[in-house]
Amino acid sequence: MDKILKVKNLTKNYKDGADSVNILENLNIDMPENQFLCVLGPSGCGKTTLIRCIAGFEDYDGVVEVSGKETKGPGIDRIMVFQNFDQLFPWKTVEDNIKYPLKINGTKDKEELSKLAKEYLELVGLAGSEKKYPHQLSGGMKQRVSIARGLAVKPKIILMDEPFASLDAITRRNLQRELLKIKEKENVTVVFITHNIQEAMTLGDRLIVLSKSGEIKLDIHNTLQAPINPATEGYGELWKKLSDNLEGNSDLY
Amino acid sequence: MKQARIQLVFVASFLLLWQITYKFGIFPQIMFPSIGDISNSFLEGFIEDGLLAYTLYSLSLIFKGMLIGIVLAFAFSSLAIISETFYSIYNFMVSVCDLIPGVALLPLAILWFGINETTVIFIVVHSIIWPMSRNIIDGFNSVNNVYIESGKNYGLTGINLVKDVYLPASFNNVLSGLKVGWARAWRGLISVEMIFGTTSSGAGIGWYIFMKRTNIDTAGVFAALLVIIIIGIIIEYLIFGTIEKHTVKKWGMVR
Ligand SMILES: Nc1ncnc2c1ncn2[C@@H]1O[C@H](COP(=O)(O)OP(=O)(O)OP(=O)(O)O)[C@@H](O)[C@H]1O
Ligand SMILES: [Mg+2]
Repeated sequence: MDKILKVKNLTKNYKDGADSVNILENLNIDMPENQFLCVLGPSGCGKTTLIRCIAGFEDYDGVVEVSGKETKGPGIDRIMVFQNFDQLFPWKTVEDNIKYPLKINGTKDKEELSKLAKEYLELVGLAGSEKKYPHQLSGGMKQRVSIARGLAVKPKIILMDEPFASLDAITRRNLQRELLKIKEKENVTVVFITHNIQEAMTLGDRLIVLSKSGEIKLDIHNTLQAPINPATEGYGELWKKLSDNLEGNSDLY
Repeated sequence: MKQARIQLVFVASFLLLWQITYKFGIFPQIMFPSIGDISNSFLEGFIEDGLLAYTLYSLSLIFKGMLIGIVLAFAFSSLAIISETFYSIYNFMVSVCDLIPGVALLPLAILWFGINETTVIFIVVHSIIWPMSRNIIDGFNSVNNVYIESGKNYGLTGINLVKDVYLPASFNNVLSGLKVGWARAWRGLISVEMIFGTTSSGAGIGWYIFMKRTNIDTAGVFAALLVIIIIGIIIEYLIFGTIEKHTVKKWGMVR
């Protein structure tokens, strides 16, 4: 099968001191198209580092390939959705935040732009908020717009670094549900970082657990039947398996 | 609005106190004119003395100088963000040059350009470019990394990244830079005009003040100061206030 993302021998060292260690060492990950990969791991194990290397925001040793081509620096084929609520441009309206990346990447037609903005805002359940400024939105709404902005440019891969981690439990569930719907509707390939087992199990087709030292400890397919909730058959076993593979899991729920 | 009322009450009290001081003759009248004298001088200045022409001449010089200064400050600051080498050099230049008062450069400017408009504009540009550059660069440096990475992620590089991300993201600093630059330029201009007097192309409000002092027309000096204050208020509230309202305030970037 054709791989859309290949991470080959990824080694990352921030080299910020004489005693700096490798955060990630010879990491290899292959991803086919339309896979939803959730990466779990204890705090500080290198999840953000990994996704930032894939996004091209960091220097590293090794190779990151997208559709067989080595990547150099950030690019429109890999869109990052950050955990930080303030990733939208505050000087642009919600609508313009979505239109702007399209505009600088070649979509010039005004009607086309408006249509796309509307379409993607509807997709994330925010129709009607076009003219608002980001500071007028809640954290959850901002994350929805960021996802819409990312989807609109049709990247090959969407990278998400704990995008829902700072949200309250209810909003978080809602956004997970929305993301599942989007996953069904659009053909998206997602790398989703989380340290929430429930979130990983609900969203991911494939689950990777990183060890404290940044190695792949577990790499499995999620075979649970959707919709996935605590009553789903096999939920308990999978939960335990993931939890056992996460060291120092006292802060996990 | 509450602020405006407080400020209004303050101004009224100040004027009253002024008038009382005058009435009791605490200072000699030649040094301390009444509000009425100043108002008269103000009106007469515009009607008979051509104060408007002096004012407009000063304003034309300051706008020319500011325009050049702003453009240069932006160009160099943007270059400094794009090129690390240029950043080191420019940062150093800003630190050094910002220390030199404009008036101290005046003799040099006269030697270079002669007693004319170019010299005045040179001093105005000098007074604005360094503080503005410092504000712009500080602003650029404190732009939230997530905006920069978002911009790069969507394909922005070089000058486009500066224009579409750094600049709006640091607009608050840019505005303070403009305010500081404006104040410095205005001061620089008035001092130069006082030293300079008239040039072939005209004379400004600094020269007007100087003439009034020579004639020991204290009320006239105050009238000219009043003009400077009024212009300052217009720029501060009308121009900068309006810009702020339609940018950083609308964007929720300041309270
Ligand atoms: N810019 C940086 N410079 C130096 N060291 C860094 C930098 N960013 C992260 N690190 C180090 O790399 C390691 C992994 O950090 P990373 O942020 O990738 O962890 P994480 O798995 O995302 O953690 P969390 O779950 O808390 O977000 C940590 O030891 C951290 O101190
Ligand atoms: Mg992280």
